[in-house]
Amino acid sequence: MDVASFAGPFLPEILLLAGTLLVFLLDVVRVRRNEVVGAVTVLGMALALLFVLADLGFAPIAGLATISSGGIDTVPSGTPLYAVTSLGLVFQAIFLLAGLLVALASLSRPSRERGAPIFFGLLSLATLGMLLVAIASDLIFLLLSIEITSIATYLLVAYTRRDARSMEAAMKMYIIGALSTTLSFFGASLLYGAYGTTNLYAIRAVAGTGGYPVLVLLGYGFLIVGLAFKATLVPFHAWAVDVYDGAPTDVTAFLAGGSKKVGLFAFFLVFLGPVLLARTAPSGGPFTNGAVALGPVLQVTLSVLAVVTMTVGNVLALLQKEMKRMLAYSSISQAGYMLIGVAIGTAPALAGATLQMFAHVFMKGAAFLLVAGVAAWGVGPLIEDWRGLGTRRPLTAVAFALMLLSLAGVPLTIGFVSKFVLFSAAVQAQGYFVWLAVAGLLNSALSVFYYARVLKVIFFEAPAPRSEPLGVVAGASEPEVLPAGGFGYGRATAIALAVIVIVAVGVYPQPVLGAIQAAAQQFVSLGP
Amino acid sequence: MSGLPIVGFVGLSAALLAVGIFGILTRRNFILLLIAIEIAMNAGILNFVYFAAYTGGTAGLTGQAIAVVLVGFAATEVAVGLAIVLALNRLRGSINVAEATELRR
Amino acid sequence: MILEELAFLALAVVALATALLALLVRELVHTILWIAVFFVDLSAIYFLLEAPFLGVLQLGVYAGAVTVLLLFGIMVTRKRIFSREATTGIGAVPLALALVTFIFVIASVGEFSAGATVHAYDPTYLSQNLFNVNGPWLLLLGLIMLGAVGGAIYLVREGRE
Repeated sequence: MDVASFAGPFLPEILLLAGTLLVFLLDVVRVRRNEVVGAVTVLGMALALLFVLADLGFAPIAGLATISSGGIDTVPSGTPLYAVTSLGLVFQAIFLLAGLLVALASLSRPSRERGAPIFFGLLSLATLGMLLVAIASDLIFLLLSIEITSIATYLLVAYTRRDARSMEAAMKMYIIGALSTTLSFFGASLLYGAYGTTNLYAIRAVAGTGGYPVLVLLGYGFLIVGLAFKATLVPFHAWAVDVYDGAPTDVTAFLAGGSKKVGLFAFFLVFLGPVLLARTAPSGGPFTNGAVALGPVLQVTLSVLAVVTMTVGNVLALLQKEMKRMLAYSSISQAGYMLIGVAIGTAPALAGATLQMFAHVFMKGAAFLLVAGVAAWGVGPLIEDWRGLGTRRPLTAVAFALMLLSLAGVPLTIGFVSKFVLFSAAVQAQGYFVWLAVAGLLNSALSVFYYARVLKVIFFEAPAPRSEPLGVVAGASEPEVLPAGGFGYGRATAIALAVIVIVAVGVYPQPVLGAIQAAAQQFVSLGP
Repeated sequence: MSGLPIVGFVGLSAALLAVGIFGILTRRNFILLLIAIEIAMNAGILNFVYFAAYTGGTAGLTGQAIAVVLVGFAATEVAVGLAIVLALNRLRGSINVAEATELRR
Repeated sequence: MILEELAFLALAVVALATALLALLVRELVHTILWIAVFFVDLSAIYFLLEAPFLGVLQLGVYAGAVTVLLLFGIMVTRKRIFSREATTGIGAVPLALALVTFIFVIASVGEFSAGATVHAYDPTYLSQNLFNVNGPWLLLLGLIMLGAVGGAIYLVREGRE
């Protein structure tokens, strides 16, 4: 384990980088079979996940840990660019799970699939960027890590380069992404001007005493807008639905299940400090010169963004006729729930938001993967095209139903646990945060409508009649026959894994929830 | 050294950012969009440079280092944008953003 | 002193004018010319700010590489490179948004002390900062470029399809 201790906290990242380079190398020597390059990627991600779990102190493999226990959750001295926190490790695990699910499912594409090396190489690289975001303690380090993910995902969306729809989606994503990057860096430059440093912990420590209230407010304002584009918050969400719709569906699963959470975790890192200040010193506000109280202003802004995001996302999801677009809008509304955690800024709220993101990987990521598999059977993009799937493919239909029920927050699923933790944290926080819980509950009720509509179509409506009107008379009412065969082993494994997690954590949440709550507590107590 | 007023730099970078945002929102040719993004990005870089110059000391050096990294990053971003443009142009024969309407309904 | 202020004023006006012209002229090749002037102008401002290394970098990367890249992009995507763009309207909402941004940022001006002076740097220390203390930034930039190069080559490569 000498190599491991040398690599220290970067072992998972190094493994993913090795995976990327190996896949690109295989491409050069013309080994391009989907299974081969996919297996390399899956292996790299699985090993990385193993080491992250070991660092988290996951009992059976704790001996593999590469970071000494003193290296986690300590406020770093000086101004280092990265610092390992338990919450960061939890997020590394979440990001790796998202990448792993997508890579597993993509294993079962046709082995002559074009662009398989570039797909898996960029998938590893995007996940690598996400892992770096999770350990960032410097604003520039954070934004550059986000860019690794962004650039890789623009190109992932475009990897089917002959498909006009996905190229168009890539173009849209690129323009919006570049705009958001520019605004984020502009905001960072203003904060640098006000504080003289870009270290997030240093900023956390001095956020209350700065002498440039307008500059600081502007800096955080630009950062909110820039990061909100990445996290698909309303009103900066319009690009997301088109991109999710146009991108290859496996990539959509990665965008919705994985990479948008990078933006949300960046909210945790950047805004928790000022929010905590508002919590510890509620009277007077952080600025002693009395110009403006940064913390409370941020809290109100984030709360409003959260409520608007979930409401608009849910209402628009109600109106959709296509499966992918419905799931895309529902994904936007879920981002609103997650933002509640940052707006409140207490440990239980952060734990709730983290669990919500963990759950979202398995609910939404896996749902998109399932949609991709079903589309490969020749089922159309409309929700109505799924009529009668419950009788024709009962297992698939039940798995999809479980994911939707979990998204709606039905008890005994992981979605219920995460929402319960989050909303009870909002109620505990008192003040106007109680209204956040109310808004969240109303929205959950609203979301039940469109999930139930999909379930009704799948289970209680007769399958579509044969498309050929001139068919044999006896077979006129026979349903269109789906091709034989399932999803393929990789996709089936990924979906089965997601279903198991959804139910298992829903029934017995304590191990996962306990770990996340402890990590969130540590993360908050790191504050000023 | 010199006593250039910082006010002028704040004004210049604010104006450049405004021009860039205006360009991103109104231009329809992809190349012009790239240029608008670069103008806005340069406003951010200019911010880092003049804050560095007025800060001085180690903290000031950090600002210049950030600016150096950002110049490299912006060039990479343009290259990726151009790759997307070229691929799209081969499919469409046009790089006009307004003509890309397949995803709108 | 007054000479430097005049120089800055002139450079700022040129920067703003060329940025606007680059976006508003109808011939794309002229756009490239204006944006090249804009980049050179900014590099002069960096020299004025006692940041010579950055000034040279701006000349090399922006005025050199990025300009050529953009010109190349226009040449490949157009049949006749001097053809004109259709005019696009200016639009009230974008203009308002841009103005609001400008006013917001300019509102922070009052917070700066007027007597601040520009510090000069030794580029040696800059390189130490860049490669030692803040070395990881360059590593991250390298990772970004790895993804960009891999993906971009794949996108523009002519495959047998």
